[in-house]
Amino acid sequence: MTDAIQKPEKKKSSLLQLDARTRTRNAAETRFKAYGMIAIAFGLLMLSILVFNIVTRGAGAYQQTFVALEVELLAGKLDKKGNRDLDDIKKVSTFGYTPLLSNALEAKVIELGIETDLKAKKMVGILSKSAAAQVRDYVLNNPNKIGETIGFEFLASSRVDGYLKGRVNRDSIGNDKNISPAQLDLVDALKAEGSLAKRFNMSFITGSDASDARPEAAGMGTSMIGSFFMMLVVLVLALPIGVAASIYLEEFAPKNWITDIIEVNISNLAAVPSIVFGILGLAVFINYMHLPNSAPLVGGLVLTLMTLPTIIISTRASLKAVPPSIRDAALGVGASKMQSVFHHVLPLAAPGILTGTIIGLAQALGETAPLLLIGMVGFIASNPPDSIATGLLSPNSAMPAQIYEWAKRADPAFYERAWGGIIILLVFLVTMNTIAVILRRRFERRW
Amino acid sequence: MNDKNIMESHMGTTAIKISARDVQVYYGDNHAIKDVSIDIEDKTVTAFIGPSGCGKSTFLRCLNRMNDTIDICKVTGSIRIDDEDIYDRRVDPVQLRAKVGMVFQKPNPFPKSIYDNVAYGPRIHGLAQNKADLDEIVERALRRGAIWNEVKDRLQSPGTGLSGGQQQRLCIARAVATEPEVLLMDEPCSALDPIATAQVEELIDELRQSFSVVIVTHSMQQAARVSQKTAFFHLGNMVEYGETGQIFTTPQDPRTESYITGRIG
Ligand SMILES: Nc1ncnc2c1ncn2[C@@H]1O[C@H](COP(=O)(O)OP(=O)(O)O)[C@@H](O)[C@H]1O
Ligand SMILES: [Mg+2]
Repeated sequence: MTDAIQKPEKKKSSLLQLDARTRTRNAAETRFKAYGMIAIAFGLLMLSILVFNIVTRGAGAYQQTFVALEVELLAGKLDKKGNRDLDDIKKVSTFGYTPLLSNALEAKVIELGIETDLKAKKMVGILSKSAAAQVRDYVLNNPNKIGETIGFEFLASSRVDGYLKGRVNRDSIGNDKNISPAQLDLVDALKAEGSLAKRFNMSFITGSDASDARPEAAGMGTSMIGSFFMMLVVLVLALPIGVAASIYLEEFAPKNWITDIIEVNISNLAAVPSIVFGILGLAVFINYMHLPNSAPLVGGLVLTLMTLPTIIISTRASLKAVPPSIRDAALGVGASKMQSVFHHVLPLAAPGILTGTIIGLAQALGETAPLLLIGMVGFIASNPPDSIATGLLSPNSAMPAQIYEWAKRADPAFYERAWGGIIILLVFLVTMNTIAVILRRRFERRW
Repeated sequence: MNDKNIMESHMGTTAIKISARDVQVYYGDNHAIKDVSIDIEDKTVTAFIGPSGCGKSTFLRCLNRMNDTIDICKVTGSIRIDDEDIYDRRVDPVQLRAKVGMVFQKPNPFPKSIYDNVAYGPRIHGLAQNKADLDEIVERALRRGAIWNEVKDRLQSPGTGLSGGQQQRLCIARAVATEPEVLLMDEPCSALDPIATAQVEELIDELRQSFSVVIVTHSMQQAARVSQKTAFFHLGNMVEYGETGQIFTTPQDPRTESYITGRIG
């Protein structure tokens, strides 16, 4: 009897003591968890380096140096005949305004008692080349102000701006024709007095691109409008075409070799490099159909081709996810195929379709390569469109194309703007993806 | 044990509602229904029994042409309802399904409100002139589905939030709301607990007043409880068809007998 009890006791393992198998298994699990955590940590590290880099390099673009000046709008220069006739005033070009600016600067220097050897003409060099145009625009809008003295805030030139941001210093400007140490002395003096300062620059977000000589005036606004019109085209075309194609393929089309081939081709299209769509757009839309170069309409058409497979694939996936019992239920009470799809299946698939569409749009929004081929890169979009038609048809750029264009230019002031533009683009993309996630969460089916 | 049923079916009407002749069904190469001929009576509950995979559901789905939705499925032979061939080229299966309602094995309410579940059929068939009409149709259907008292205070809450048994009765209410003439039920109780099953069975017996009910079941007890006529299917053949009481007490075919006594299953 005692034997009988002792025997199993010998073999019996304690739950408090891990056996060898359990130990190795636990070790393997711990290792696996560690690998996973390392991978995620690495990903997060890379992400934070990326974000940190983008923000530190791009933040500068949102600040710009401005110079406050009192400009006397000399009637003698701007309106020689003195009859305030707009046509006559228009005849004075921006060159005619430059003396007003040098007068204003000279007056300021004298008023503040700043010592400088600079001639008034050279002083103007610290202002942006857009300053004269700014005054001219003001005069053309308010001809009755001619003769008065008006306070303006002018952009400082990109060198002066760079000086305030630490990009430009006295050592680095040795051979620079655009800025001299004497001008920097003037800048220092004006800064100390407070009429030259760095502040938030809204026109980087709302403004248009500017020529190589005026990086300080360049903004993303017009290319944002270009992107907006392209996305409009993509949404209006790709969503209905994609959803209709998916519904047909998924719900109505017979399953045979033709639909099989179509299916394989759609999956393949999703993997086609976007530049291929670009050259297709160039050949078909521009060379053959003679649509205008660089137009958001063409960009939108090309991106539609690119986005269609994404939308079709995600729409078909969400249609497939609707249980067949729902279709049976609808058919069982005498609904037609069409009614069952539109009354029951489609509403249930809608959140998935929307999510797929938003992700497709986000992809299209960040796409650059196809735009290279249809001439939307390198185009200086200096005027925002004034109607939907010009928005679609007149040449424009797009956000990623604009960023690429800035990054390509020699002046480091543009480089800073490229980073700043990336921030805007990322904000758009993150917002769109967040909306997609929220939609998915919000409408997730509860069966 | 089935005296009541036997008596009733002897007295019952003998009007033929559905008449099938030489029906063959193929799924591709699979010959799923072989040479089935059957006359189904009006205002009667007819049960299809048989081992699983023998073709009960397939044959049931022929009666409202739900098989049309399966690409590889081919049906030959003739099935007539009220002496009209439902596989005639001129017949629109959608119109047929309004006349031949169906309740499925798994309760499948639409993920909409209870009210909308029931109102959907009448809406698409234009059975109601106005909102008051529709309210009345919905209430009557829910009463006939024996679920009115449980849901009358929450008609706007989702049908998917009901219990399994309630969902199935909702589906029955949804099916009767379109005023069909025939009601097909494919194992309507297989997902239900015994109490819900008893409620549904009671309901089926009441529905017999207005419809010809065809019910597929794997439970012989259920067939015995609710049906007046029973057809026994085996490997795609309809082996035997007759009064329920007679099938269960004195089966003619040895296959029926061995199934009933539990030797095939
Ligand atoms: N959708 C289908 N596609 C192909 N074969 C099917 C399909 N549905 C049923 N079958 C086949 O038809 C036969 C009968 O099935 P079914 O009618 O569902 O049997 P039961 O309902 O009696 O269990 C089975 O052999 C099954 O494999
Ligand atoms: Mg079945």
